[in-house]
Amino acid sequence: MEDKNIFGKLLAIVPGLAIMVGTLFVLRVYVEPWMSQVTLFGYKGWLVKVMSLNYIVMSILLGMFYRNVLFGGKIPGWAEDGFRTTRLFIKIGVIMLGSLYTFDKLLKVGGVAITLIVAFVFGTAIFILWLGKRLNADRSVSSVMAAACGVCGVSASVATAPGVRAKPVDLALCIATILGFGIASMFVSPYIGKLLNMSDYQFGAWVGTGILNSGQVLATCLAFNPIFAPGTAVAYGEIWNVVRVISIPFVVFFITAWYWKNEAAVERVSLSSIIASKFPIFVIGFVGMTALSSLHILGAEGSETLRVIREVMAWVFGVGLVGLGAYIDVREIKAAGGTPLKIGLIAGLLKYLLALIIILAFIPKEGAF
Amino acid sequence: MKILLALDDNPRSLAEALRLARERGATLNALFVIDSTWEMFTGHDWLSGCNSRIGFLEYMHTTEEETAAATAIAFKKEVEGIPGELLTVTGDVAEEIRREAEKGYDLLVMSSPFTRGLEMMRDTVARVTKKLPCDIFLVKAEPKK
Repeated sequence: MEDKNIFGKLLAIVPGLAIMVGTLFVLRVYVEPWMSQVTLFGYKGWLVKVMSLNYIVMSILLGMFYRNVLFGGKIPGWAEDGFRTTRLFIKIGVIMLGSLYTFDKLLKVGGVAITLIVAFVFGTAIFILWLGKRLNADRSVSSVMAAACGVCGVSASVATAPGVRAKPVDLALCIATILGFGIASMFVSPYIGKLLNMSDYQFGAWVGTGILNSGQVLATCLAFNPIFAPGTAVAYGEIWNVVRVISIPFVVFFITAWYWKNEAAVERVSLSSIIASKFPIFVIGFVGMTALSSLHILGAEGSETLRVIREVMAWVFGVGLVGLGAYIDVREIKAAGGTPLKIGLIAGLLKYLLALIIILAFIPKEGAF
Repeated sequence: MKILLALDDNPRSLAEALRLARERGATLNALFVIDSTWEMFTGHDWLSGCNSRIGFLEYMHTTEEETAAATAIAFKKEVEGIPGELLTVTGDVAEEIRREAEKGYDLLVMSSPFTRGLEMMRDTVARVTKKLPCDIFLVKAEPKK
């Protein structure tokens, strides 16, 4: 493998990053404004307002187009380093999202979020461990699916797999199932939300609870309402996402302990070491931004600083979501099958629908902020 | 004659490659590719902390190396008396097979569908046969029980 110095590494990022930034620029500055003016079926802006084809959804779709059509199924070597920055962009975006909250607002919503998340995360995990037994699934398959469907999809699978000695083939099928379900719900949910006349609070709470993969939670909220401001779908959905992320080490501990309890070999499982190795540090950045916002260091609502932060946030997320789309390989998702697909479909659909029913029954339209 | 066998977990492709090598008095090289595309495959995992992700990628690499070692033992046991060697490389499976096939082989033997690493999720045969410089012999994989 070719060794590059720091300048070489930065240079290698440029081509892929230029595609991501250029795509978003064209979509945000030219395509979406044009589509907002186009009248279809007697409705001005039908594509954007009715079909939810805003720049966020189009960013993901174009990313998918690059990977699956233009690049023939694989991001080419010359663009790979640039597209790899996707993770960095989305993490920076999530840290910046912390500026949408203050601690008192988080406290108002936090109780509901924590209750729903804990109930759904552990409820789903326990249900899948039971379902896996009924379907005679390998224990490692049940474990990875329990983490993936219970918490936040691919990240939870990645965190759980080494601890439960998951086989690569099973893990690949699990991930394909989770992604397939996440992508389908990403495109369907905004229509359901609009059809049921859900508020941003209800929608954010629903998709934050019901969609399996956290990347898709973010994208779905922005597809429903692309505005970054307190009280929007993304502001609520991300509270749910962050609570889910924080729960990863605890769920990994619970599932790993369950896995080794009935194995002939013994492996010591320690919560503290799992927290140390699995806790995502960027959550601290998110809390830090919320602290700055709570101390009014970023200015009052409507200030120039906050306006600039939200504009930058829209660009950062948009660039990241082009990359997210480029990591969706339709052929790989179509290869999903076997027991992971059965478990994923049953548990995923149940979670998605149950979350919708509970949100509509118990969560008011008016949000806490 | 020089034959290249792309190894996966299908025992029929090894048996067929051995039969062909014996019948034709050919040299048989076998290629095992350690799949390095897990990082790309899990590109959606943007929430994991660095430690979690590195731990996962190391676990996958170790698992792949264990499979490579087990395959090497099984191959060496079967191949006795036939000239050739076992090659182990790390990379994108389809690209590595094609790269090796370009080194003067007459025939490539592989399973269809091909199930080495993440290739079970992809159409490897289509990717390999694109601009393949030699003939190819596809061996139908036994259905999984």
